[in-house]
Amino acid sequence: MTTLTAQAVPAARRAVPLTRLYRAELRWIFRRPRTLVVLGLLALIPAIIAIALALGGSPRGGPETQGLLTAAAGNALVLPIAALAAGLALLMPLTTAMSAGDAFAGELAHGTLRGWLLAPVNRGRLLVVKALGVATFALAAVVLMSLVGLVAGLIMNGTGGLFTLSGTTLSFGAALGKIAVAAGWVTLQLWAVGAVALAISACTEHPMLVVVSVLAGIIVSTVLLQLSAVDWLHPYLLPASWDSIADVLRDPMPGDGLTQGALRAGCYLVIGLSLAYARITTRDG
Amino acid sequence: MTTSFEVAVGASGEAPTRPRALAARTRGLRKVYRGTVAVDQVDLEVPEGAVLGMLGPNGSGKTTTIRMLLGLVRPTEGEVELLGHAMPEGAGAALPDVGALVEGPGFHPFLSGRENLHRLAAAEPHLANSDIPVAVENALERVGLSAAAHRRYRGYSLGMKQRLGLAGALLVPRRMVILDEPTNGLDPAGTREIRRIIGELHDEGVTVLVSSHLLAEVEATCTHVAVLHDGTVVAQGELDELLESGSPGLLVSTPDGDRALEALREERIPARLTPDGVRADITTATAPQVVAALVRGDVAVHEVKRERTGLEDLFARLTQDDTEPAGLSEVDEVRA
Repeated sequence: MTTLTAQAVPAARRAVPLTRLYRAELRWIFRRPRTLVVLGLLALIPAIIAIALALGGSPRGGPETQGLLTAAAGNALVLPIAALAAGLALLMPLTTAMSAGDAFAGELAHGTLRGWLLAPVNRGRLLVVKALGVATFALAAVVLMSLVGLVAGLIMNGTGGLFTLSGTTLSFGAALGKIAVAAGWVTLQLWAVGAVALAISACTEHPMLVVVSVLAGIIVSTVLLQLSAVDWLHPYLLPASWDSIADVLRDPMPGDGLTQGALRAGCYLVIGLSLAYARITTRDG
Repeated sequence: MTTSFEVAVGASGEAPTRPRALAARTRGLRKVYRGTVAVDQVDLEVPEGAVLGMLGPNGSGKTTTIRMLLGLVRPTEGEVELLGHAMPEGAGAALPDVGALVEGPGFHPFLSGRENLHRLAAAEPHLANSDIPVAVENALERVGLSAAAHRRYRGYSLGMKQRLGLAGALLVPRRMVILDEPTNGLDPAGTREIRRIIGELHDEGVTVLVSSHLLAEVEATCTHVAVLHDGTVVAQGELDELLESGSPGLLVSTPDGDRALEALREERIPARLTPDGVRADITTATAPQVVAALVRGDVAVHEVKRERTGLEDLFARLTQDDTEPAGLSEVDEVRA
């Protein structure tokens, strides 16, 4: 039997620091034309709401959204939160799903995931980098919408009239705090969506399938949430607490809905990432 | 051998120190995809420092074997060792020293060639942050892509894409380079370029595994050959040995083949009919004896030439199905 070259490998590094991979991933995400277009469109939402409100006319829509939008007219505090609420309903989960779809399915379709697997990047670390990338994208979308909403709100109304839905008036600092709470909470909800989308992404080579699955999930959940016959199911549906974001604008802030929503998102996050890990570590590259 | 880098960088021109050592080995490898056996009982041995050409028709299991070698796919059965590490468990230890181009180049269309390589380089454990720009430029230059490096990958020609894939495999000095169909889509000049790069790697002492259906390329660049057919290795070894293993023959071009056959058989020279005349086996007889026999038999001879035992013949012999032209069946029996 011939001998194998099992000599001691030099003490050279066997793994690249996570930060370097994360930086490379961010460069890839934010160089992608699609990412920039989507972020630009998301930033337009608060601007469009602001312009529509400035032009006048009574907003239409669901009772909650309508309340928020009415309040947003003449209130710099409400506009960014109203924009986030509108985005959270559908658009932001979809863009998060798009990002997650590109993370695994898109890379597999281009044959580019192989490059990193062969470098090699351990599959667990790959998932960490991909999850961080999607999380950063979602955070960037939320921050961008909040900022544009805030600026638009300030241009429309100035710093005056920072009153809550409960009628109390806030200082500018307290208002910023509320916007930050809303942004953080929405980000967490998007991360939950992103984790589930990553799990789907790890199972397919079609990024579009990830977006469609998330779209279907949201629509089905929304329908189920309106059927009292299946109310035992409601606590398990992620969008169940998405309406609670308006609570941020009340004073004092009722914490029940928001806390419940955060816990639910946390559960989705853990389950989604676990499924993604199980799939990505066993699938053929 | 002390470090992997010394082998790749410092050993230029040196013959491999231990010629019988293996850079990669598979034993009893089997892979079943949803009930379809892609690869079965593959015992492949890649000697260190060799340039091993992996030949086989489409669907013979070349790529599947390579994917298992690289730990991208977990074998259904069998063992894989790459640079002394069991795969896929040892991927973290083995793969930094292995450069690979598998199943065609895979890059992001919206990034330039250089940016794509930077992204790949970011994941290379052997590259420090400060080494990345130099490594990328060197790799680009080595494959002759420096001038087009700033252009988006989307606009690359097939040949340029293939070169970029090769550059990705050569980002770091390697102990082993695995190239799956590297000449796909390349023009003759590009193919020569690949051959030159493989030659350089060989001179540096790097083990090269190259799969190809372009037999001439393999014959020109390889020291070893493994022939795959229907998911199993039907032959492997040093190229020279394999080429000599076929029995030598003399091709006689003549209009009356039957008569020639008769004349040769009288002289106890084994022969068979070919489309142009007959092929005489000259393992036992010499060429002049054959010609003399033909002259005695009053056979009209247009041309007599020695049969070229190229890789193509070998390949055809080894991978021919039973339904293929009967003219080769006799050779098959010789092999068996």
